[in-house]
Amino acid sequence: MLDSGGAAAAAPAEFPAGLRVLLVDDDPTCLMILDRMLRKCLYHVTTCSRAAAALKILREKKGCFDLVLSDVYMPDMDGFKLLEHIGLEMDLPVIMMSSDDHKDVVMKGVTHGACDYIIKPVRMESLKNIWQHVVRKKRNGSKELENSGSLEDNDRQRGGVDEGDNASSACAGSWKSVKRKKEEVKDDDEDDDDEEALEEHEDPSHSKKPRVVWSVDLHQKFVNAVNQLGVDSKFLLTLLKLVGIHYISEAVPKKILELMSVVGLTRENVASHLQKYRLYLRRVSMPQHQGRLDSHFASGHDASYDPVSLIDGFDVPGLAVVSQIPPQGRAAIHPGPRSNMNVGISASSVNQFGLIASGIQIANASNMVSSSAQQMNNKRMSNPQTPSNNIQLSQFGQTPSAVQPYGSMNLQFGKGMPNFLTSSSQPSSFSLPSGTMSGQMNVSLTMHQAQHLHQFSLSQQRSNINIPHSSGQVLNNNASHSSRLSSALTLQTSSNESSNHILGQLRVSTSITSLPANYIKSPFSTSRRDLYVDGQSSFVNGLSGSSYPSASGVGVSQQTASFQSFSSNHDLKGKFDNVTAFNTISEHQNRGHEWKLQRVNLPYQTGHIFGLEQSNLLSHSSLMSHHNSAATATNRDNNTGATVKDKITSLTNDINVEKRTSVAQHRNVYIDDNSVRLNYGVSPDMSYQDVYLDDMQNELMSVVAKQVTFEYIYDDYLA
Amino acid sequence: MEYSTLYNQIAMMKKSFFDQGFLDEQFYQIEDLQDDASPNFVEEVVTLFFRDSSRLITNIDQALGKLPQDFGRLDSLMHQLKGSASSIGAAKLKNECTVFRDFCHKENIEGCLRQFQKVKKEHASLRQKLENYFQLLRQVGPVEKANRSGK
Repeated sequence: MLDSGGAAAAAPAEFPAGLRVLLVDDDPTCLMILDRMLRKCLYHVTTCSRAAAALKILREKKGCFDLVLSDVYMPDMDGFKLLEHIGLEMDLPVIMMSSDDHKDVVMKGVTHGACDYIIKPVRMESLKNIWQHVVRKKRNGSKELENSGSLEDNDRQRGGVDEGDNASSACAGSWKSVKRKKEEVKDDDEDDDDEEALEEHEDPSHSKKPRVVWSVDLHQKFVNAVNQLGVDSKFLLTLLKLVGIHYISEAVPKKILELMSVVGLTRENVASHLQKYRLYLRRVSMPQHQGRLDSHFASGHDASYDPVSLIDGFDVPGLAVVSQIPPQGRAAIHPGPRSNMNVGISASSVNQFGLIASGIQIANASNMVSSSAQQMNNKRMSNPQTPSNNIQLSQFGQTPSAVQPYGSMNLQFGKGMPNFLTSSSQPSSFSLPSGTMSGQMNVSLTMHQAQHLHQFSLSQQRSNINIPHSSGQVLNNNASHSSRLSSALTLQTSSNESSNHILGQLRVSTSITSLPANYIKSPFSTSRRDLYVDGQSSFVNGLSGSSYPSASGVGVSQQTASFQSFSSNHDLKGKFDNVTAFNTISEHQNRGHEWKLQRVNLPYQTGHIFGLEQSNLLSHSSLMSHHNSAATATNRDNNTGATVKDKITSLTNDINVEKRTSVAQHRNVYIDDNSVRLNYGVSPDMSYQDVYLDDMQNELMSVVAKQVTFEYIYDDYLA
Repeated sequence: MEYSTLYNQIAMMKKSFFDQGFLDEQFYQIEDLQDDASPNFVEEVVTLFFRDSSRLITNIDQALGKLPQDFGRLDSLMHQLKGSASSIGAAKLKNECTVFRDFCHKENIEGCLRQFQKVKKEHASLRQKLENYFQLLRQVGPVEKANRSGK
């Protein structure tokens, strides 16, 4: 190849010559043509006709590629899924290609994080400039480094901005905010990722930074520092801002660094780690595999990561790699879209976040989530998730002190919550910050509950499961405390869906007095989420797809928020039965406070759109804060004459997607205790959709729970 | 001169392909990729295309024969064929594929069957045309200036 670099011959002698491209296309003709075209552009080309092979290559040869060019429609894996995987694991710029030029599909590409979308047939001109995406990504990363000092501030600001946008009613207006949020979040994540990417890839324009290995100890220090300062939870911030509460997180990298007082650690290291942590927490909020609980506790540090890995099915494989997910977990992950939900579902994982989140009503497109969750549940669970949820809650409740923090947190949420939670017809903007909302919770939880929580053994958890399947009883048996938490969490399984999937109704006891009455409980689709109170990863089981009642779950002292979990409804493939979910929702609508379908616009990272099109959402699996998916979903839903229900559904889906993304990201980060850089293993089979389908609430809850869980795991591990 | 006649012939042939809509601009893109490093690129690609597309057509045939018809699969297969065709600039074939997909979306099995016959016909016809074309090209030898003559 004629390197225009000539004598200079250094790799990027004359950029973009020598750009290392991985080309993935199942069509041999296209593959040949594109290969030739790329070579004509003087790029280094590696071809693949299977997505799985591409992932394998990327994983094995990390840092050997600058850019990925992938077809959308491939037999073994959806191009978008691949896109997500790559985004999560390697964070390379990915360009999608397809002869399908429908706006929807293109949008999907965008929302899933593609840097570009080229319509086939591909022309040379289109390929000549693909290098710009590499440069752009790197630049964003380096910019992040330069501005590392203001990283946290940026996040906060962004959160604020987004919130403001998202706070508007979910409608077309939210599109913008969603988009903006998405961009912001994306940038946020990108920056962080870029930072990492820079570490990984030899970027001639940036000096190589010595990679910081985040050992368990180091991470623990980090977490301690963060907790001390108060987790900078974007989500939390967003949420609070949404309700009019401004919470200034002190957990800025600088302070964290100071607290940690580790020699040689730079602010940038901490900043990027913090971002990952936030993402992790989000991810952790995904439903967890119940089966993991044991293993997680059992296995050393990997175990500590189990919760994380449990969370998302989609990154199970990756997790497996990094965190050595127990086979069962892995297996669990694969089956359905929300396989992770199913894993170990049987009952014992309680989603602590669920508790927290319960206070927050998220009109998530729980339906959508539910369906996917249900799908997953179908595969894995035979029982409604309720029991597990119960357990979770109860576990939670068992620790008075533990509960307390939640309570307080809930309060905080509650204040603002009612506003947007209760208005039935108004979609409330709800941003799920990329961080974890558990920030606050986390602090409190960790501090108060650390000792408590991780004493809960799995068995204990299980034993706490009280929630009867059908009766949607309060989760936990701990009256006062748990009630607080659990009240928020009432999961109802929609009976509409196939029985398998429907999680029992999880009624959260109403005694959550700390929360205002109209505290809305995010509807958790109990179908899949396990609520982990314990140090285990907490997933709000079945959160997905549950319609979020507007009634305040948590806060309502006398009310039980009921969530409808349409676990079985979750059909990530877009088969979600919105109608079913809606039916459930409408059933609940009459309950006083409780069910007010709201179109909560959960601008998770990028804002959520009340998308209607469930399938759209389902197919979205954006790794990197692809809130666009939510947006997309919204659009589509609109077409179908979205109703509030639809919106919720899509929202839920969006949330889930977001959740997954974040969780996946987080998970990756935390799986490997020996290195910062985790392999974002993503199970090729895992449908990211699952992630997306989770409702916002789940996300909230899981985020919170996760954080706590994570803490515990860590504690446990370190102990 | 013989060559010039041949060149003319080739040029005319190619022009007719374009005029009649068998090929479109994408074919030029393919031609542009041919150079000293890949002197027979166009023919290689086209050969590869027909080999792969024949396989696809067989699959579609089978899928059509299986009852009840799986329109999703049919659509997916045809999508592949369409993508392939468009990548080499086979415009007419691509259009026929699109029509077929429309029938698929409407689950109009009769329409699908009829249209598929058209697809096959066009596929065969294009194959023949291009084979002739390449044959002529081969006759003028490696000095493939004729490639560009149709532009």
